[in-house]
Amino acid sequence: MTRHRQARATDERAPRRGLVERYVDSVAGRVGAGSGLYKALRKVFPHHFSFLWGEIALYSFVVLLATGTYLTLFFEGSQEVVTYDGSYTPLRGVEVSAAYESVMRISFDVKGGMLIRQMHHWAALIFIGAIALHLARVFFTGAFRKPREINWVVGVLLLILSLAAGFTGYSLPDDLLSGTGLRITQAIILALPLIGERTTYLLFGGEWPGTDIIGRLYPVHILLIPAAIVGLLTVHLMLVWRQKHTQFTGRGATERNVVGERIWPTFAMKSVGLLFLVAGVVAAMGALFEVNAVWLYGPYDVAAATSYSQPDWYIGFLEGSLRLFPPWETRLFGYSINNLIYSGVLIPGVIFTGLLLVPWIERRFTRDKADVDREHHLLDRPRDAPHRTAAGVASIAFVSVLFLGGSQDVIAGTLEVSIGYVTTFLQVAALVAPPLAYVGTYHVCRVLGRREGPERTERAGIVVRDSGGGYHGVGETELDADGERTDTSSGASTAESERLRERAGALGD
Amino acid sequence: MTDAIRAEPGQRDQLAPDDFRTGRPVNQRAYRAAILAFLVAIVGGIVAAVGYATDRTDVVLGLGLAAALGGIGFGLVSWAKFLDLDEHAVQQREPLSMTPQDVESFREEIELTRETVGRRKLLVGLLGASFLSMIVGFVGPIGSLGPRPRGERARTSWRPGSRLVTIDGQPVDSEARSFDQLVTVFPEGAVGVDDSQVVLLRLPPDLLTPRTVERGSVDGWVAYSKICTHAGCSVGLFGVDNRAPDTLRQLVCPCHQSVFDPLDSAEPLGGPAPRPLPQLALEVDADGFLVARGDFAGPVGPIAWDEVDAV
Repeated sequence: MTRHRQARATDERAPRRGLVERYVDSVAGRVGAGSGLYKALRKVFPHHFSFLWGEIALYSFVVLLATGTYLTLFFEGSQEVVTYDGSYTPLRGVEVSAAYESVMRISFDVKGGMLIRQMHHWAALIFIGAIALHLARVFFTGAFRKPREINWVVGVLLLILSLAAGFTGYSLPDDLLSGTGLRITQAIILALPLIGERTTYLLFGGEWPGTDIIGRLYPVHILLIPAAIVGLLTVHLMLVWRQKHTQFTGRGATERNVVGERIWPTFAMKSVGLLFLVAGVVAAMGALFEVNAVWLYGPYDVAAATSYSQPDWYIGFLEGSLRLFPPWETRLFGYSINNLIYSGVLIPGVIFTGLLLVPWIERRFTRDKADVDREHHLLDRPRDAPHRTAAGVASIAFVSVLFLGGSQDVIAGTLEVSIGYVTTFLQVAALVAPPLAYVGTYHVCRVLGRREGPERTERAGIVVRDSGGGYHGVGETELDADGERTDTSSGASTAESERLRERAGALGD
Repeated sequence: MTDAIRAEPGQRDQLAPDDFRTGRPVNQRAYRAAILAFLVAIVGGIVAAVGYATDRTDVVLGLGLAAALGGIGFGLVSWAKFLDLDEHAVQQREPLSMTPQDVESFREEIELTRETVGRRKLLVGLLGASFLSMIVGFVGPIGSLGPRPRGERARTSWRPGSRLVTIDGQPVDSEARSFDQLVTVFPEGAVGVDDSQVVLLRLPPDLLTPRTVERGSVDGWVAYSKICTHAGCSVGLFGVDNRAPDTLRQLVCPCHQSVFDPLDSAEPLGGPAPRPLPQLALEVDADGFLVARGDFAGPVGPIAWDEVDAV
């Protein structure tokens, strides 16, 4: 009631209303979003460059959806054998699968198709890279602590889904490289105790290679996984919105407030700008840098495999696990725990289970129960939590050694040493590098921690100068009692904050 | 007001009071940058449209689109800086944990839940069993996805007397080839069948170990399954080991660098492969071509958990 009367009063005073005002009113006034919209537009987001990784992941996903949809208009998910007769002369007359033929058509006979295909592939590589960096940022700053454990789990599931999306996607062209990757995947599933053989028959429609797998991966890649990603992404963002973003200390940031820029206009315009910047960079990469040249790999052929066959970067650690794990098998009563169970199931299983459990592992090792149980909205600098940082760097060291193992043939070729030496070196490194990284990182953290840095405002409180020129502290409870500075500070600064509040209020009050 | 917004104390000192009284500070540099960026975007779109018609579609179109998209992006970010708000707005967090009032208001629901669900163990159990039964009902269609394994993995297309033929279907003359070359062969009539691929090598006969000869080598010819026992890639690399070129040979899988010894029943020498490549016993038929004496002794390539003793 009051608001309506006020609105009328405003109308009488100012008969001509601005364009923006009319539009906001016409929409918000019809869906009853007035107060919600007003609150939403004034929501505060802290800013720091490292908060961008998640946004970049989100926006490369948007690019993936757009370019991917275009590709589905041409791609054929079928292993039916056809004879290639497109524009790429070296392969003319070769018998290929319909899937491979359609990818070749997109690349060479659809004008601009190559660009969209390469944009899709580059966007996928950036997508997973940005997720990995985002995950590292969240880990090393302790942003997964209470109350954000659920969102950590959602995030790790998103990482796993994005890996699945990447793998199913690059398997679709049915080229030699990806066919080899599928062959290896089939071998890993086959090795599963009890259900292995039956499961491969169900997935591949019979013995390897079968005729079904490409047609089955296709709906998984374009429907099931993207739908799951969209669903979890929604949960992820809703939780960020509800719990509000974490922030670093300084600039008056405490555990009970958020300091940053408001959604409108600054944050929203910058963020939408970032969407277009990501898309622009992906377009430039798609135009300039060749990626996944399936015409050079050739179609899949059961009796061929090439050396220097490396998967996309995010599968590199798995490839390395398979290459570096010693040729061990456990035999029991005529059954075997296959080598691939260790290298292809156990090691990635430990890595992802460990990731999922990070918040609970940290709780287990944190002695200060009171600290564990409170809400954490202020981020640690990595040096502030030396054990966590050391554990993170040690894990990265382990995964990096695996990643290098995935290209041990390339390393050996480049350094002109025997592959065997490189393999042995990396096998030792996989065991030795993590503890070394742990000790080294812990030491560095302790040294850095002794240095001067920005004070933790929360603990230091705020010092204000009063009208008489004296300084005294304002306790945080005092400051936060009703969200406003009540009192003790100087008249001038109260007036100033009054003006600022006016400025904020002008948005919609 | 929960969403109190105010400036952070230290920041205020950097803004001249005039900026607040006479209007907001305006960042002219950001304004000009936005103009420039949007102009670039407009040109980029036109370049993309023209580029589509050229011979170099992908590059020109892509760079044009990059300029259009990047220009819009850069323009928006610059525009966001135009008002130079340089904000340090502060918003209070609402407590996320349940207050005693919240808990209190749930009490009735909790009590109702306890009455309907918590104390009706029989119904809960039956519901659980119904769900299980329903899942069992759905297993059938999942089974339709693929045939039941019927021992196909235990045999390949090799039969006693099968001729070894190349991918072009040519049989291999036992006299024809020189030493130390690799050729991929299949059984005649089954060219390209995955589980029957074989690497055929002719090696100096005196280098072969007795068990290799015993398992079916003819005149230096040895044949092994081409499928790596590690993860199933095709073992396509053969080389003379340069540490001792007179006496050592290697078969290498390009995927994970497993190394096998072709002179000694393809025993693994290095890398992750845990088992030797199954050997195909050879003989020479009446026309002088190489033929198989029979199928492999066990499953080829990577194995399932219960296939270990068959090898």
